[in-house]
Amino acid sequence: MEHSIRNHLGALALFALAAVPLASAPALAEDPIQLGWVGPLSPPGNYSGGQEMQWAVQLGVDEINKAGGLLGRQLEVTYEDTKGQPAEGSAAAVRLITKNNVSAIFGEFHSSVALAEIEEAHKYGVAWMGTDVWADDITAKQYPEVFRVSPANSLVYVKAADWTVEQGFKNIAIIAENTDFGQGGAKIIADELQAKNVAHTLATIDLNQQDFTPALLRLMNQSPRPDAIQMVVAGQAQYQLVKQACQLGLAPTAETKLIGSSGLLQKEVWEVDGACAKNLLIVNVAQPKSQWNDKAKAFVAAFTERYKRAPTGVALEAYDTLGVVAEAIRKAGSADRAAIVRALEEIKYEGANATYSFPTTKEPAWAFHQFMDVPFTIIQYTEENQGPEEAAIVYPKNWATTDKILP
Amino acid sequence: MGSLSFSRAVQAVLLAVALLLPLAAGPYWIHVGAIAWYYAMLAASWALLAGFAGQFSFAHVAFAALGGYASALGVGLLGLPVGVSMLLAIVLAIVTGALIGALVLRLSGPYLALFTLAISEIFRLILVAEEDLTRGMLGLPVPGLFSGQSDVPYYYLGLGLVVMAMLAMNWLLSTRVGLFLRAIREDEGAARASGIDTTRYKILVFVVTAVIAAIAGIYYGHFIGILTPNIAILPEMGLVIAMAVIGGIESLPGAVIGAVVVFLLSESLRAYGEWRFVLMGLALILVQRFAQNGLYPMIEQWSRARAKPRAAATVEDRHAG
Amino acid sequence: MSYFLLLAVNGLVVGLIYALVASGLTLVFSVLKVVNFGHGSLYMLGGYASYYLISGLGLPPLLGVVGAMVTLFVFGVVFERLVIAPMYTDKVERKDEYAIIVTFGLTILITNLALVVFGPFAKSPPSFMTGALIAGPLILPYDRLIAAVAAVVLLVGLSLFLKRTALGQALDAVSQSRESAAVIGIDPKRMYTVAFGLGSALAGGAGALIAPVFALSPSMGDLPAVQAFIIIVLGGMGSVGGSVAGGVLLGLVQALGVGYLPDPNRALAYTQAFGALLLVITLLVRPTGLFGRPHLRLE
Repeated sequence: MEHSIRNHLGALALFALAAVPLASAPALAEDPIQLGWVGPLSPPGNYSGGQEMQWAVQLGVDEINKAGGLLGRQLEVTYEDTKGQPAEGSAAAVRLITKNNVSAIFGEFHSSVALAEIEEAHKYGVAWMGTDVWADDITAKQYPEVFRVSPANSLVYVKAADWTVEQGFKNIAIIAENTDFGQGGAKIIADELQAKNVAHTLATIDLNQQDFTPALLRLMNQSPRPDAIQMVVAGQAQYQLVKQACQLGLAPTAETKLIGSSGLLQKEVWEVDGACAKNLLIVNVAQPKSQWNDKAKAFVAAFTERYKRAPTGVALEAYDTLGVVAEAIRKAGSADRAAIVRALEEIKYEGANATYSFPTTKEPAWAFHQFMDVPFTIIQYTEENQGPEEAAIVYPKNWATTDKILP
Repeated sequence: MGSLSFSRAVQAVLLAVALLLPLAAGPYWIHVGAIAWYYAMLAASWALLAGFAGQFSFAHVAFAALGGYASALGVGLLGLPVGVSMLLAIVLAIVTGALIGALVLRLSGPYLALFTLAISEIFRLILVAEEDLTRGMLGLPVPGLFSGQSDVPYYYLGLGLVVMAMLAMNWLLSTRVGLFLRAIREDEGAARASGIDTTRYKILVFVVTAVIAAIAGIYYGHFIGILTPNIAILPEMGLVIAMAVIGGIESLPGAVIGAVVVFLLSESLRAYGEWRFVLMGLALILVQRFAQNGLYPMIEQWSRARAKPRAAATVEDRHAG
Repeated sequence: MSYFLLLAVNGLVVGLIYALVASGLTLVFSVLKVVNFGHGSLYMLGGYASYYLISGLGLPPLLGVVGAMVTLFVFGVVFERLVIAPMYTDKVERKDEYAIIVTFGLTILITNLALVVFGPFAKSPPSFMTGALIAGPLILPYDRLIAAVAAVVLLVGLSLFLKRTALGQALDAVSQSRESAAVIGIDPKRMYTVAFGLGSALAGGAGALIAPVFALSPSMGDLPAVQAFIIIVLGGMGSVGGSVAGGVLLGLVQALGVGYLPDPNRALAYTQAFGALLLVITLLVRPTGLFGRPHLRLE
């Protein structure tokens, strides 16, 4: 008995030793360049989005390493699950910076977590590049270390709201999830519609909830009935909204259009919603297939082959985030933290989704280090089981494949 | 050689290690340590509430949220100086703690658990829904307490708070109150029959633990710099429960050690992703199944059993010498 | 009027499904005097079990539900024997706390395990029947209708089982008083195992029935668990009839609350708070529940 306990203790001690990371040795020239990725991989974070981002990054890392690495060194990314919790995010950032000794940090899906992370990045002077965090505040703080590949709320949702106005919708219902993303986006849409004098109502939903029928019935019973419903929901609750609105005969119909967010680009939309997802309109932060460059084509093919599912806009953004950081290291000619920050201000990098640069204008405040030409389309599924890249493009005009929105 | 002195010795050694840690550890472990103090305060005060007084409450993290948000809003909304704002948050915790304590007087066991769970959920939903006030899930920015970049001041502040909370709770337990609380847990009816003012002591223990939880929340908010309603979700409460139960629900130092060990383990096993929480759930069930009083008291007992023969041996040695 | 009717019918249907979720919790509580804080994770497991039975073995959807119930029954029996059973011995001092902690631990264990094993992406088994029943102003998706009808069948079956069969009566006897049950030759320990197994099977069945209505995710059980807690408190902790009444009441209150409260945004944000508030008030004002028999263990 005593013997076996001792054995167990020994095993435990070994386990603990194994857990102590080996990254404390001083960096040699041949050592890999260390980068840190942050994002949600478990609840209460949006773990399905986080997973796609992580996969895309790993794909990019493998490609770079296979091609000989960066500056002759291999690239190593440490992935940190921040669970959608700010405290986890700040701890992750400190850990990456002080323990893994990373040259730069990138990723993240939740703005509230990003806001905690950038404090640490700023404190230590380490570049931080946001992949899919939309709160204006993140770049509006104008920290020299903080950059963003993804749109700011003000960048996309103002355009989305303007588009709904152009389309002649008179009565718009906004359904937003009660998270940083939903509340932030909903506020910008509401303000824009207010400014353009278009009637709108706002409903906030909890992501844990699954039955939205009463709320949808309320919208249905509104007089006049909304002619467009704009969902600012990233989580899986969006699938339920689509299904339930469709089953009630509320939307998408000839009278009421249903506009959703990028979560609906994942193929699960067809498994959960089936025929109900046809005619859905989706705000997509990615280029249409017609505009894909070779990089985008290669990425989509590689991703689909490796993970057995097509990448969505988030995956492209994540892949490009890594690309941007890698380009900055190349340009800086070293993995020095300050040099990377400087290089990021100067680069012009053609990624899979866009050509990136980061302006230093300070007006409006959120434009600082914000990539401005975020490709942005509104697409519509026209057939069942369609992939997003096959869907019709209804906005913007120069990319549009149709000028007609299906009922 | 009793377990008491062993326990004291262990605690003294651990305290010394905690005090010296910043000299040896890098900024990362200092940061992690500073967060661990938050959980240590919560786990220890919850152990007092649930383990000693038998009030199995699910609302403990809600009190931390109350403290954190009240202190942050006092500064941000009312423009109070930080110190005043903190005091206000503590007063609020006293009032709320007393109120909850008074409301649950008639409830026990699963009823108390369900009641506090519902209260905690309502409070969290208010934090989410009243976004004009709390900024909802966008997160409420909280001003820091120290200028400069190092986390060392927070680390020592947290450690100081843990030590103070432990001293206060130990003192409370060493007075008659400790006896009364245990009597209430074992058999409330009998305690009342023998003249103990059960109402008073139940409310008292809710107030004391609510204040400690609120102080933990205040500390946490100012340290992390942003608060979201997720601080009070059920899995966070689950984490605190797991820490206290694994360390020892009837031992305050056990709960503190449980909190620190569970938190540090979950940090150092990050490479294992979600498996960490699977393991934590398993550990919680196994500890409760096979070592109900937690691991720390078990180690204490074990050491006592080993200490006896050794003490005898020393005596013999002396004779021989 | 038709608006009210629509809300009410939808509330009723959802309430019946809630009642089924709560009935397993009720059964376990009435026999073991234990609130199973792991109930939501059993519900989630039931949903995934039916998904894999349907997509893996090609079972028809309703058979998938039955399969999920069988799976969960076995799981419940094993868990009870291994972890809950020691509670009845003298080795366990604080029985209430013990039960809360181990069942809560089960939730932490299973929810996280599900994330690792089932993956982060949403899954959904095929519909029982696509489309919706439309009768005048009434719109009711068939999946919901079928889930509600199945819930009623299961609830009626459960009541009959408890009243008419020898095993059911033995369970009921133990729930009334374990001492007197033991006197007439019923082994309470065996009944505890049966009750926990049945309770798990009911949770799993509910999860399987709801899977096509909503979708599957590792955290899908969190909210239904809280709702089930609310329902059993409303229903007086331990009567099947009480949970039906409690479930329907909760369904109606939530539907009408969201439908009629003045500020639509707040109304929706506070949907879950309504239920929690009902629980708080019930425990304060009428701890014996709104319906049903009085609590068995409350001073």
